[in-house]
Amino acid sequence: MTAETPDQQRPVRLIGAWFAPAVGASVLGFYGSFQLQEETGELIRHSFFNDVAPPAAPYLFLAALTGLLVFGFLRHATLWMVGQPTAQSVLREIPHRMRNAVRLGLAQDKVRRDRYAGIMHWCIFSSIIVLTFVTAQVAVHDDFGIEFLKGDYLNFFTFYGDLFGLVGLVGVGMALARRYFSDFHRIRWDERFEDHLIILGLGLVLLTGFIVEALRIAAEPSVFADDAGMLTLTEDAAPFAFISYPIARFIELFEMPGSQVEGAHFVSWWSHVTLSFSWLGLIVFTRLDHIFFAPINAFLLRTDSPGRLSRIPNLEEREIFGVGYIQDFSWKQLFELDACVRCGRCTEVCPANLAGQPLSPMHLIQDLKAHLADVGPAVQRVGHEGGDTRAVSPVAMVGDVIKDETLWACRTCGACVQECPVMIEHVPTIVDMRRYLVMDEARLPATAQGALENLETRGHPWRGTSLERTTWMEGLGDVPLFDGNQDYLYWVGCSGALVERNLPITKAVFKLLRESGASFGVLGQEETCNGDPARRLGNEYLYQILAEQLVMTFKEKNVQRVITNCPHCFNTFKNEYPQFDGHFEVLHHTEFLSGALRDGSLRATHPVGEDVAYHDSCYLGRINGVYDAPRQIVEMVPGANLVEMRRNMSKGLCCGAGGGNMWQEEVGERRVNHVRSEEAVRTGAQQVISNCPFCIQMFEDGVPAVQPEEEGRIRPFDIAELLERAVFGPGGGEAKEPAAAAAVSDGDRET
Amino acid sequence: MHFVVCAKQIPDPETPPSAFKIDPQKNEVIPAQGIAPVLSQFDSIAAEAALRLKEAAGDSKITVISMGAESAQAAIKQVLAMGADEGLLLNDPAFTKGDPHTTAKVLTAAVQKLGDVDAVFCGRQAADWDWGQTGLLMAEGLGWPSAIIAKGVALDGQQLSVERVLEDGYETAQAPLPAVVTVSNEFGEPRYPKLQQIMQAARKTVTTWTAADLGLDAAEVGEAGSRLRLEKLFIPEKEGKVELMEGDTATEKAQALVKALQGAKVL
Ligand code: SF4
Ligand code: SF4
Ligand code: SF4
Repeated sequence: MTAETPDQQRPVRLIGAWFAPAVGASVLGFYGSFQLQEETGELIRHSFFNDVAPPAAPYLFLAALTGLLVFGFLRHATLWMVGQPTAQSVLREIPHRMRNAVRLGLAQDKVRRDRYAGIMHWCIFSSIIVLTFVTAQVAVHDDFGIEFLKGDYLNFFTFYGDLFGLVGLVGVGMALARRYFSDFHRIRWDERFEDHLIILGLGLVLLTGFIVEALRIAAEPSVFADDAGMLTLTEDAAPFAFISYPIARFIELFEMPGSQVEGAHFVSWWSHVTLSFSWLGLIVFTRLDHIFFAPINAFLLRTDSPGRLSRIPNLEEREIFGVGYIQDFSWKQLFELDACVRCGRCTEVCPANLAGQPLSPMHLIQDLKAHLADVGPAVQRVGHEGGDTRAVSPVAMVGDVIKDETLWACRTCGACVQECPVMIEHVPTIVDMRRYLVMDEARLPATAQGALENLETRGHPWRGTSLERTTWMEGLGDVPLFDGNQDYLYWVGCSGALVERNLPITKAVFKLLRESGASFGVLGQEETCNGDPARRLGNEYLYQILAEQLVMTFKEKNVQRVITNCPHCFNTFKNEYPQFDGHFEVLHHTEFLSGALRDGSLRATHPVGEDVAYHDSCYLGRINGVYDAPRQIVEMVPGANLVEMRRNMSKGLCCGAGGGNMWQEEVGERRVNHVRSEEAVRTGAQQVISNCPFCIQMFEDGVPAVQPEEEGRIRPFDIAELLERAVFGPGGGEAKEPAAAAAVSDGDRET
Repeated sequence: MHFVVCAKQIPDPETPPSAFKIDPQKNEVIPAQGIAPVLSQFDSIAAEAALRLKEAAGDSKITVISMGAESAQAAIKQVLAMGADEGLLLNDPAFTKGDPHTTAKVLTAAVQKLGDVDAVFCGRQAADWDWGQTGLLMAEGLGWPSAIIAKGVALDGQQLSVERVLEDGYETAQAPLPAVVTVSNEFGEPRYPKLQQIMQAARKTVTTWTAADLGLDAAEVGEAGSRLRLEKLFIPEKEGKVELMEGDTATEKAQALVKALQGAKVL
């Protein structure tokens, strides 16, 4: 692979790396706590220094905080409980879920996808963990009479207390820089008062912590004045407080009377304690609740593929199909709303948002959250009283709170889900509301309606096509029909068969399969849409009809392995058909072809001396994790030089066609395919290569718009077309005779 | 009020040209394999017009009538799913291979048998043969006024106010009820049915009436009653010819092009 910018995130699985310092220090602390031998004359931390407070005071704070947390949690929980049971039980696959909680919750895999934020967040996070631990140790030492903060351990304890205070301040500094001194950063796209409170509050807690410590050191001489024999921190351990100690020395320069220093210590101690507990209290009232909600949501995260939408069971017996009311979401979907930290990551990568279209996943989640807070309590009360919960909300959730065009603008590209640091799944939530629009309300854009009607009546979404499902076979000699004995079914798909531009792709895949000697056949006239556009557009009913039909056809024909040239078909067969008891081995053509190149059954010998930019389609790349196979193919094409686009692999940008937007008029400032075409053009490559018939269509349409000069324009190709040139030479070359048994002649196919 | 929508099931107009075949001997279209017949687009717009009127009038009923084979149930169900109340299939071997005149006769008999009908809505034409006569002939048979090629309809007391598409605009006509209206595509998109309605429609039974039920004699309907005879059915050959303009300079080529276009009477 070229050394461009392959996604740095992927191979990194060293969860511990981030945690090591924090955990290490804490473990050492525990270790220290077992060094309890009485050694006289050893330096020890003095309990109840300066008599700042009755020993019970911090525990009253703690009790209040705990009460507040429990109250806050229950208040939230009653709101989540207006939701429905989840489709997938959250008590299944516990080990998987625990792994998620550790990896995504504690180790913060997603947070680190933004490096700056990752470092900042780790600084703050580890600082809070370690300092909480420091405080707990002091409590054990002071209040429980287990005096272990002494000797060498005290030196170390003093050191790392200061170290993590500093780490925390670095984190706060980074946060402040981002919030106050950078351009309109994503974290400010939905800024609220609490955001200032949280970050400035934390800064104050840490600063007062240092001040308390410094004043303690400075006050020691006067506090211990009567107790001449006592060793003081100042003499030994204090210098390990490498921040507080210099401050203490600085304070001493003012030569204040001892009582004043003691007074100052008293005041700062109380400020620090009050601030700390107040800050922790913010958990209940602000997005600081993500401290708990993020790891919980990681635990609740789906354990199946993100490419799978839920199957509505027993459609025929239902009266409501989609989600038009807040109480129709699952409780997990409602829980997610509360987990959102308004970080803007989802919106930053959302293709619709990038094109100035009316969708921002962050605002969508926040609007739903506000709506839940508004109507949730009343819904709950009315539900208890047995009333009509649907009459509660004065506004329509779908239509007023969330606009129709917002829902239609989504590409189901999964970029938001991929980036969300608290594991919110926007796509199912959006599609649930689309289901409401289409099935309950029958309110949808005319173009989408046209595609769906076409699917219903003609079994494909391409209104007005003049092609037949067998047109692409012309000029290819005998095309074997699948008869149940071949190894593979080559699934052409509606786009591959019925859209003019894609015929060369279908032909190329076919020729390459034949050349590789694979045993395969096609369904020809018997193909019908697998239903993906219907499902993504929200017509689950139609999808289920189409899917059940096709699963049956596959089973009747004894299909075991499928090769598709459309990532949408690939995803549907692979991830969604198991919901209908259709279990097939599914390969995208790039996977098959790269394998054939590796094992030598295909040889790319004709040089293609051009730079090619590779576009990861969402449904092959991000959603199904196939990044390498297509890149390997490009690398094995002699002369072709792979260049990466700025956004690639799991951070790839959608071409704009996903989620049924292939068949919709776009509303907004720009079109998504123009944005992505621009990025392709910027690589300076001569070709932009993808693996999806939709992407190719979007580039064919988008490139001329951003590169009006025909001369030197970047040309969009499917990777199979590139490989076709490399295997057969520029003219397509002569193809071998098919290996398979059942074949139809051109004449038979006419009928 | 009781409205009737006439719905015709036709071969899919979007059949790819390569799949569209005719039998020149029998003068018939050979149904394309694997391509299901559809509801004529104009008729679904007529249904939309009736539905909007029903919504405006309140307390109304819509009956959808189709003359055709058993398969036409699908067209009827489609209109039922859109919101029509009852379905009626006029199915009799005697009805086949008729002309607009005999079709109108059968539909008229059905409307008369229903009795209490206030208005009949048809598509401006069936999207297969494009005669555009059935609605008018029904009005004739019923003795009702008609307004054709409508882009808007509204109830105005006992009057129907119809916006009719003209070549260079539209006119508004008033007709006393009962009346026949044929609806044009300018009216707007037909609605997408809600899933609830689709399921309800699937459960509804469609009544079938035969020629006998309608009191029609087999000799006056279908092929036997037709006054029009189809002479020849064929697919026109399309020919494309390319002629390159000769000339040494662009100006000369352009001049040659202008001459050629003038010769072909394009300019
Ligand atoms: S799935 Fe893609 S288009 Fe939809 S909200 Fe998320 S990022 Fe935006
Ligand atoms: S949904 Fe996730 S990514 Fe988007 S703003 Fe909320 S927390 Fe951030
Ligand atoms: S998902 Fe596949 S089958 Fe359906 S429209 Fe796409 S290309 Fe066709």
